[in-house]
Amino acid sequence: MSRSDQSRSGAWTVRLALGLVAIVAVLAVAGPALAPYDPLAQDTALALHGSSPAHLLGTDYLGRDVLSRLLAGAPASLLSALAAALIGLLVGALPGALSAFLPRPAEWLALRVVDALLALPFILFAIVFAALLGNGLVQATTAIGLLIAPGFFRISRAATLRVRDAQYVEAATLLGASAWWVLGRHAWRQVAPTLVVAGISALGSALLAVASLTFLGIGVQPPAPTWGGMLASDLGYLAQRPEGPLAPALAIVLTVGALNLLADAVRDRTGAARVRHRAGANRKETADV
Amino acid sequence: MSVVTEPGTETGPAAGAAPAVRPDAGRTAPARHPLLAVAGRVLATAATAATVFVIATFATFALGAASGSNPAAVALGEVATQADIDRLNHVFGLDRPFLVRYFDWLGSALTGDLGTSWFTTIPVSTSIAQAFPVSLSIATGATLCALVGGSALGILAAVNRGGILDRVVTVLSSIATTVPAFVVAIALILLFGHAIPLFPVAGYVPPTKDVGAWLTCLVLPSVALSLDAGADIARQLRTSLVGALTENYVIGARVHGLSPARIVFRHALPNATAPALSALGVHVPRLVGGAVITEVIFGMPGLGRLANTSALQGDVPVVQGVLLVAIAVVVVSGVVINLAIRRSTGTGRNAA
Repeated sequence: MSRSDQSRSGAWTVRLALGLVAIVAVLAVAGPALAPYDPLAQDTALALHGSSPAHLLGTDYLGRDVLSRLLAGAPASLLSALAAALIGLLVGALPGALSAFLPRPAEWLALRVVDALLALPFILFAIVFAALLGNGLVQATTAIGLLIAPGFFRISRAATLRVRDAQYVEAATLLGASAWWVLGRHAWRQVAPTLVVAGISALGSALLAVASLTFLGIGVQPPAPTWGGMLASDLGYLAQRPEGPLAPALAIVLTVGALNLLADAVRDRTGAARVRHRAGANRKETADV
Repeated sequence: MSVVTEPGTETGPAAGAAPAVRPDAGRTAPARHPLLAVAGRVLATAATAATVFVIATFATFALGAASGSNPAAVALGEVATQADIDRLNHVFGLDRPFLVRYFDWLGSALTGDLGTSWFTTIPVSTSIAQAFPVSLSIATGATLCALVGGSALGILAAVNRGGILDRVVTVLSSIATTVPAFVVAIALILLFGHAIPLFPVAGYVPPTKDVGAWLTCLVLPSVALSLDAGADIARQLRTSLVGALTENYVIGARVHGLSPARIVFRHALPNATAPALSALGVHVPRLVGGAVITEVIFGMPGLGRLANTSALQGDVPVVQGVLLVAIAVVVVSGVVINLAIRRSTGTGRNAA
């Protein structure tokens, strides 16, 4: 993997990513309050203007202030991504860990269900799910969360299987420990760091998915601002205002990029810790970590 | 089987779904006749794929049923009375039990009958037959772009390990995974629609009309859709090829005086393709699903747009039909990619 490359590129990228994520987190809560104008206020005389002191990021096709819409759209875009990632974590992680202790036929069936969920074309299914069940942000978020869950299932299952085969866990099982005991006592600590890393990158993909859905007009109805929806409306006016999509696109890309950097950094730290922790065990899989 | 071992996440011996099937095949294979072993493996793969297909289509069908949408509401709107609803529900067979409807739907789907649209009463299979070639063209184009571009960059990076080119590829691939397809699409439209009018930025021309126009109208959507998968393939191929190039047989080949190109392409590359192929396998569902956005942006009448508009209308049979086709594509390509991976690891064992 490119892990050594990442650690070589130093701590400043991590700090940059942390800073960006912190800013985005603040915007997710306080965005609408910081908006200089009403994000819905139209002024058609000012439509499709470029950057100016009054409107730092210009105005859209209805003369609405782009900066205000960007700030006001932050909660819908960011908090629903957070909710989707949490749904995925809750629905996927525990069953994934438990599946390592299932009897063979049940395990086979569980894996096929997960395979089936992974075979669903992600965005297509999310669109259909949200649109058929009422086309709201709650439906869109639920759909994305459920589609992220199989990823968490596999990650936590893989991490649990590694622990399950460790000798001290075998010893515990021989002494009569139940699956729940092994999970709560032994596996949990090994699986948690992996899940944190997976959670951060899932947050990034959830954000992309939310942006894709709102771009297609699903989840949020038109006048309400979202980053994806802003991109879609700017797309119709590329000839008049070619720099239009830049602001919402940058907001999406920078947030996702920062989350990915952060996930890599956390993986580096915890991965290193795990290698050290397991060095004594001298097991084959330490080479992979 | 639809899902291949996901690269990156599966670090341990537990490669997700794969080991659940493989140990059986591995255990029984040596005792049997080789042909029987192959047949057994094909059967096991087919059984797994069929199970996945049934579960996934069941989820799709359940979703349509759970939507509470009914043909009377879709076709007549607000003016539909309870009598209308009951009558049309009976016409479309919706007054039967859920499981009966599911197996009936799946059974007729296998014979090519996907029902009729509630909105237009056009057979769903007709609409899908019109839209499918569009989506298939884009998805195939994107897969080709991802494979060709990703492998080229991955090989270049691995051969120049630690060099500037390697770092450029690493940075490019991490940017490509971060930038969503629709942002790339918009950038491409800006670039090619206004600055360099080389390729058309909207519309679709069928190959039966004009092959040249068909190819050029596919270029931008394919590129926009392929970046994510291409970046992943490049990264996986770089990692595995760097590993293969440090193996003893490569050093041996070098000592023998074989040319570097021959060593890379004939000796190291065949042993390094499996992770890149599984990366492609992971991306197939995303390529199929992501095609929706590309189709909408580039104004192409494909399956994604069909699903999008039908879902917003509440036209359940069309939505279910499109998803069934998409799932079938994903499952079948998963089987094909898995067979390719098995072949490539098989030759790897023979060569090593």
